[in-house]
Amino acid sequence: MALSKVDLANQVENQLPQNLVANNLPFRNIIINGDMSIAQRGTSFADASTYTLDRFIFGKDNDGAVTITQSTDVPSGQGFAKSLKVDVTTADTSIGASQFAILSQRIEAQNLQYLKYGTANAETLTLSFWVKSNKTGTYCISLVKIDNTRYDYVAEYSISSADTWEKKTITIAPDSNIQAAGGAIDNDNGIGFYLQFALADGSSRQGTNNTWNTSTPATSTSNQVNFLDNTANEWFITGVQLEAGTTASDFEFLPVDVNLARCQRYFQTITGFVGYGIGATTFQASYSFPTPMRANPSASQSAVLNISDGASNFAQSSTTITTQNAQVGSWFGLFGNFSGLTQFRPYGKTTTDKILFDAEL
Amino acid sequence: MINTVEKIYFNNQFVSYKMTLSDGKIWSVPLDEANTDYQAIQEWIQEGNTVIDNPPN
Repeated sequence: MALSKVDLANQVENQLPQNLVANNLPFRNIIINGDMSIAQRGTSFADASTYTLDRFIFGKDNDGAVTITQSTDVPSGQGFAKSLKVDVTTADTSIGASQFAILSQRIEAQNLQYLKYGTANAETLTLSFWVKSNKTGTYCISLVKIDNTRYDYVAEYSISSADTWEKKTITIAPDSNIQAAGGAIDNDNGIGFYLQFALADGSSRQGTNNTWNTSTPATSTSNQVNFLDNTANEWFITGVQLEAGTTASDFEFLPVDVNLARCQRYFQTITGFVGYGIGATTFQASYSFPTPMRANPSASQSAVLNISDGASNFAQSSTTITTQNAQVGSWFGLFGNFSGLTQFRPYGKTTTDKILFDAEL
Repeated sequence: MINTVEKIYFNNQFVSYKMTLSDGKIWSVPLDEANTDYQAIQEWIQEGNTVIDNPPN
């Protein structure tokens, strides 16, 4: 039989159990760092609207406070080593109508084109995750699609047993709005989805359960618990997976280098590079990123820079960094506030302080 | 939250913004519309805030 006559796709599907096929599709998880293992910014974050573990941003507008940490408390026997923990440090027993506390991941639009949103063939999505809290009750997730017409899908899940890891699965089917032109996701490097986990949410942000809400924002329902109501409250999450299809496959564990590289598209740090003196006070350097970034990145310093010419060490008196030319694949710029440098003499960075590059969504 | 924004020049060319946040962190922001810090600066300007601009003579 000529090879062209063999229907390999159907043969595989007919011979293998569907879960075996699904569990072996590479990069099926739309979420990056869903196992909470990559933490380039650190492992503990004080209360603020800020990126935390890689790709996960905590958004807040409330009168309470939380600390977010990378935890080793994980569901037993599932292969996870890390989780994200939210710990209430200041209670807020009354959430205002527009107030909220939400953990989210912003998903790049061009990675979502295969979902075919905006067409009659739009894919059903399935979200799965492991969660644990001492505070039981109804919580909500939302999937916010903002390109063209904004629609917010809201779904409730229940934490039924206190202090017990539970796996949750939520199926998100497209409706007629998602299948129409307004449901399309632009093919660009902007935000396609916000996947959000509400911990507290005010009444003006609440919509209808299991629905693509047209009145937005709708990031929870009226049943959402107020997780912030007690300083004893803790909430853990790991194993976040969003995939095309109507069932949840096993969590897709990636090699650490692959997982890190996926995160580095949005944020990366470097500790070592070389450059040269530009006059006595300025060090000029360039750097090629190991992973091209989503957009030309912003740059910052974690501490003053220390450099050496092999004989003497030089330190900035205070941080100052200037981007001369940022590209998705490289950065070229200046570090000032040195003294005693020699024009055009090469210098290398000597200490573990970090240069931060940010191209987050 | 943005505290101040300053235009940075090199060789007489406007090359980037220096953005200082309310927590004291300083970011050097490229002139790229896809950069979310750049977008935040444009929104901050739209809200009526003023960018520090000291072009070289």
